Amino acid sequence: MISLAVAFPILFAILFRTITYFDIGIRQIYEDLVFLIGIVGPIPIFLYNISDLPMRNVVGGWSRISGIEVGIDGLNFFFLMATFIIFPMVAFYSFGYFEKSDNKESRGVSRESKFCLMLLLYGSLIGTFITRDLFNFTVYLEIASLAAIILVGSSDTSGAKVASFRYLMLYLLSSFFFIFSVGLIYAKTGYLNFPLIEQNLVMDTEMKVAISIAFIALIMKAGIFPLHFWLPDAHSKADTPVSALLSGLSVKAPVFGMLLFLKYTSIEFLVLPLMILAFSSIFFGIGMALYQSEAKKLLAYSTVSQMGFVLLCVSTLNIIVTGVYVLAHALAKAALFLGIGIIIKEQDQKDLDSLYYSNRKILMTTMILLSLAIGGVSPFLGGYAKKLLSDILAKEIVFLFYIASIGTLTLMARLNYELLTGSSEKKQRFNLKVILPFALATASLGFGIYYKPNFSFLGLALIGIAIATFFILKYSRILDRDVLSHLKRHEKGLPVEINFYTMIFVLLNILFIFLVLYHDVLRETITSLGL
Amino acid sequence: MIESITGGYLTAPITGVILIVIGLYGLMVKRDLIQQVISINIISPGVVLYFTGLGYIPGAEAPLFPNTNVVDPIPATLMLTTLVIDVAVTSFALALIIKIEEIEVRRDED
Repeated sequence: MISLAVAFPILFAILFRTITYFDIGIRQIYEDLVFLIGIVGPIPIFLYNISDLPMRNVVGGWSRISGIEVGIDGLNFFFLMATFIIFPMVAFYSFGYFEKSDNKESRGVSRESKFCLMLLLYGSLIGTFITRDLFNFTVYLEIASLAAIILVGSSDTSGAKVASFRYLMLYLLSSFFFIFSVGLIYAKTGYLNFPLIEQNLVMDTEMKVAISIAFIALIMKAGIFPLHFWLPDAHSKADTPVSALLSGLSVKAPVFGMLLFLKYTSIEFLVLPLMILAFSSIFFGIGMALYQSEAKKLLAYSTVSQMGFVLLCVSTLNIIVTGVYVLAHALAKAALFLGIGIIIKEQDQKDLDSLYYSNRKILMTTMILLSLAIGGVSPFLGGYAKKLLSDILAKEIVFLFYIASIGTLTLMARLNYELLTGSSEKKQRFNLKVILPFALATASLGFGIYYKPNFSFLGLALIGIAIATFFILKYSRILDRDVLSHLKRHEKGLPVEINFYTMIFVLLNILFIFLVLYHDVLRETITSLGL
Repeated sequence: MIESITGGYLTAPITGVILIVIGLYGLMVKRDLIQQVISINIISPGVVLYFTGLGYIPGAEAPLFPNTNVVDPIPATLMLTTLVIDVAVTSFALALIIKIEEIEVRRDED
């Protein structure tokens, strides 16, 4: 039954594109209605299915061996919640954002094609999140990524085509490696169904190599440092609703793949490398975001750092914490993109220096609430997620986690400072769209309160330290350094970038395989050195 | 040559891996976008060959109804999906290259 939730949007994508393509004289409002039904339709199906959890079945009543198993349980519940909350909000937002062009000669991608792609992205994301089959997961992930790549390329922003091409090449590279590892796993276990893989699992060196290759491919798809190259440009050059979908949901699909591996195979041997990558992604993302001058790029780098937090959750081998963190980040980041999109569209600017929200009280409140939510302050859901995470982290590294939290809050302090300082006498008319990010912020708050908030002075202290850090950085002129143009000077064009990124991807693969093969030797060396 | 080393059993997977390595080399060294797309197109059949080769059983027949001793059909079936996606993606990548070049030409003219 739940598989209908996947079929529904994909069917409506085809239906919507057919009726709009042949131009049979249907009024636009009815066309939009078809799109909306495609978006809202899967929600009742989902609600019907969650009455009795955990739910499992094989599509079409086949046996597990030859069929495709789907299910809803603690593994994917939060992912599906995020999808079903964010997608309808973004759909409403896009009605006003993409305007219908009457000019048939227009060379750009039409509004209808973008809506069709959004429905495809929606359906394939639901598919990715409910499946329990390794190959089915791969296929849905490919459809979702392709829809996302074409949506990025369809934007009229300068640089969007280059961002889309870069995304495409790196996505293909990681996809082929992922399929390669699927092949290794199939050869070792004889199954593609995850519960059956679990029953036939023998964790020998080949299996470990296969899982590490799969993980690196997933890390690339999730945009985690050092394989994040495609993310900042793709997420910032895309149209705002697409940015919200990409940063909120699309990067979470590979994380679900990691959770499947975590639940049904054994990834203990990867914990340390994953943790190192997670912390480096967190700090790299924050560092780069602090120097960005474009608002959307700042948020995109913040996604790189937040995906580091998500990977940290995965490396603690705790499924529920990862799920809660994913939901918290998805709600807050999608809403931040929608909010900043409203400001960018109204003021027709994208630089942080010239944007402001001081004449928009509701938007200002929303952005501040969302900044606190993403910073992980209680009673927001992010606060609950960070509390869970800090409780299970080893004592030796909790301090790193707190520094990272302060970093995130410092970043958000910068965003709000820049938006607050620009001022205008012009009174803005109330924009109905502001309700959407506000609703998402309220949802984050609501979930946080539902999970019993944990008020502590630590949260307030962290905000205080973060604001102080921001002003110290600002007045010591560290933030004024022109790091971006320094980095730009070393850019040598798209082809060389792809050469370089492929090299890093291959090197990381070799490094991980080396770690798997010489795990014991390394451990002995470390012990003999007395570390 | 590979056949004489592996005894025929792993010919396809090993050839696949060699193709993947060649494609990776192209992707790391070639500085032309179209050549890079071609490199990706060399990795792709490498993966397909590797995966399809996993289902090979020496002496087995095609998986059609009356045959009993058959090769594993699942890898071949799955790779159909990959091939279809690959064709579509290649055309999209080439279209993007045309767009990127167009934009560059327009910028130079301005």
